[in-house]
Amino acid sequence: MDRDVLDKSIVLCRSCDLVVRKRALPSGVRALCPRCNSYLYDTPYCSINGMLALCLAALALYFPANFFPVLELHFLGSIRTTTIFGGAMSVADQGYWVVAIAVLTAAVIAPGLLILSVLFQVLIVKYQLHNPFFRKIYKGFLCQHKLISQLSMLEIYMISIFVSVFQLSDYTDLYFGIGTFCFTMLFIVVIFLQREYDIEHMWSVLDEYQ
Amino acid sequence: MSTSNTSVQGQRLGLTCCPTCTNLCQTQQTICSRCGQAVTSRDHSSIQKSWALLITAAILLFPANLYPITVMTSQGQVRKDTIFSGINHLIQLDLLPIAIILFTASILVPMLKIVGLGIYLLAISFELPISKRKLMAGFHIIEWIGRWSMLDLFVISITAALVNMGQIFDAKPAPAATAFALVILLTQLAAKVLDTRLLWDRLESNDDRN
Ligand SMILES: [Zn+2]
Repeated sequence: MDRDVLDKSIVLCRSCDLVVRKRALPSGVRALCPRCNSYLYDTPYCSINGMLALCLAALALYFPANFFPVLELHFLGSIRTTTIFGGAMSVADQGYWVVAIAVLTAAVIAPGLLILSVLFQVLIVKYQLHNPFFRKIYKGFLCQHKLISQLSMLEIYMISIFVSVFQLSDYTDLYFGIGTFCFTMLFIVVIFLQREYDIEHMWSVLDEYQ
Repeated sequence: MSTSNTSVQGQRLGLTCCPTCTNLCQTQQTICSRCGQAVTSRDHSSIQKSWALLITAAILLFPANLYPITVMTSQGQVRKDTIFSGINHLIQLDLLPIAIILFTASILVPMLKIVGLGIYLLAISFELPISKRKLMAGFHIIEWIGRWSMLDLFVISITAALVNMGQIFDAKPAPAATAFALVILLTQLAAKVLDTRLLWDRLESNDDRN
């Protein structure tokens, strides 16, 4: 059976295995499965240069967001600060390493890997896709993408900072640090990056160069 | 939309969708031609794996809720808070919005996830006549809100790092934190390993209306 003909005309729903005929969509519209309402496909934005710019911006914000203090606590004349990384480490110091690993993975490691992975994908598409070695790496990145993006939870950490502020404001004075600003900006840039990125499109780029 | 003439399973056409890259493959293929990862038409062992993970998570839900999750020292007074008593304390402090956020993320979401996935797995395992459409809608909600349970762990890590001044003012995680982290991890995995296409195969005869 000719795979290329099949590819263009139908899709299978990942949740319920329904055969759905593919139609052209206006941009910004998502196609859902008519039977179980799972997401099927949409029209990608996916400008390679746009993604490159967003990746570089995210990378520039990533380090200050993680290593500058997000919160400052003023208590009886002494000042304590914490970073995202420091938060995870202080939990680990007290023996709760399962919690520490969860926090580190969701707030530091996965977002970092996500940015790097997209950056490398974009660079490979832009400069090296004809090279078999880089094609293999590109494939590897695409295979891991879903897992990495599920693990990255910047939005939840954002809300957590505000919840902590309200919880502690009853006991003491709290101030936002530079880290909070960088982290908020990082969060916004990553939202745009995820909006621009489309895994289906990235796979089809690989097919086109074959 | 009439389902009688549109609901053709991919399996009937001898086609399946690669779980890694969503490429269309033929059912007899074992390796996807695009991404080189393993392809199976249905993962029948996924029900067992999902049950095992879910039952473990349900058992861990007890220590997570019954043991204290934080220990707070303020001016020499030591308070051990369980998830529930912590939320209760927030209500007494008139921080109702924060209490609602934490109640949803730490109590409602994990419980709903375990009950919801339990119903879903029961429906597949015992072919219960529950509307597939409703089950699938529930599943999508579970997948989407599940990650928000991480909120409490983030808040604990921020608080523990900031509030660390010995006898005067101190916050530490307590044993329930590890149990709670494992509940989140296991329920997320239970939803992730499950092959939802099995629902639509097995209930085909019992509940054709949906
Ligand atoms: Zn479907």
